[in-house]
Amino acid sequence: MSIPFSGTLRRSGGIVSAIGKQLKSVNLKGVKRITVQFDPFAENVKSTREFLFLLSTPKVAQTNPKCVVKPDIVCNRQPASINFSLIETAQEQAKVKEIRFNSENLSTLELLQLCNKHVSSLAPPEEITNKVLTKAEKQKLVGGAGGKKGGSKKK
Amino acid sequence: MSKLIQHSLPVTSTRSPLLQFLRFRGKINIQRPKEPHYERARVIAVTQPKYPQPVKSLTCFQTRAERTKAQLENPYNEIVAREVRNWLNHSQLVAIFHLNSITADEIYQLRVQLFKQNMHLKSYGRKIIGQAVAGTPYEAIMPLFHSNHCIVFSPDQKRLSTLLRLTRKVPQMVLIGGIVEQTLLSRNELVAYAQMPSLQVAQAQLVQTLNQAAGQLVQHLQAHQGNLVRVLDVHAQQGQAEETATETPKDAATPTES
Repeated sequence: MSIPFSGTLRRSGGIVSAIGKQLKSVNLKGVKRITVQFDPFAENVKSTREFLFLLSTPKVAQTNPKCVVKPDIVCNRQPASINFSLIETAQEQAKVKEIRFNSENLSTLELLQLCNKHVSSLAPPEEITNKVLTKAEKQKLVGGAGGKKGGSKKK
Repeated sequence: MSKLIQHSLPVTSTRSPLLQFLRFRGKINIQRPKEPHYERARVIAVTQPKYPQPVKSLTCFQTRAERTKAQLENPYNEIVAREVRNWLNHSQLVAIFHLNSITADEIYQLRVQLFKQNMHLKSYGRKIIGQAVAGTPYEAIMPLFHSNHCIVFSPDQKRLSTLLRLTRKVPQMVLIGGIVEQTLLSRNELVAYAQMPSLQVAQAQLVQTLNQAAGQLVQHLQAHQGNLVRVLDVHAQQGQAEETATETPKDAATPTES
């Protein structure tokens, strides 16, 4: 009497690899400014601080060098929050000016997942700029244009 | 007869050498040993050492870690905790920063700049800091070390403005709290403390405030007399001005006459 197989064939790598996987897909192209506000003495700010650290890593910063990550320290024990101010095109797409996460009861992994769900999807698609031409391609172009000239000149 | 011949010493005999070489350059076999003879195996089995084992009833309900004693507290932690306690006790200024992702080169340059101002940049693990401050009044700073951090110690609390100036150039360091003269301060309080004037200036301001009460009383008493004197002065000056005005036309007239 055998029951059909249920469960995973591969074991998960743990929370660290889950965070790493989410971090790889973070894209801040649609964001103008990120303000991370927290009170260091409040409870449950660990995830916010970790999220701030992860946003400051070079890989994430490279997705949009113009985006400014500003930490805002307050001293009134108010709950932590993260504010994403969007760029114009993203604002039109999402019909909101900014996205706010109340991160008091969210873990770091959840924050990243929500960020990928709401913010990374608003990144404008990349435009192909200045394709580098190879020598053969250049010759073809020039040959195509100059061949007619050469042909007319030859008598 | 052969036994009689054997009596001679092996060294003296020319036929058999003292050393009989059994092996020449070949590799010895230790991976696939021959099965021992039964008698030999029996002797080996009997002479296997038996080590004393803990009584099963004691270890039955212990976890694997407890049974194998894998986690022993490293005594070095205690030494580092003592160092942290030392730094905390002998520093008038302790500033705690949240540290974002930063290259070692940048933080080294900041460390050098701070060192030149007699400030010391340090970083310890949360467990060790917990061990260091447990039971001391410094226990209140524990919530600040949940994430990546660094600490700046200085024996001189007047350096706070210099510290803020230097760390303003490093955006990855975010000030979150500090201890000044055994008093825990939040970030805004630290910034306000840095902008406060020196002790002498504060004392001068206090003296000024204290004198203000008496000074105001004197001012009120002298007010009316002073006013009168001023008005008379102005009046006298106006009278003098008129006299000089009338004299000068007469003087101007006389030279033309002569």
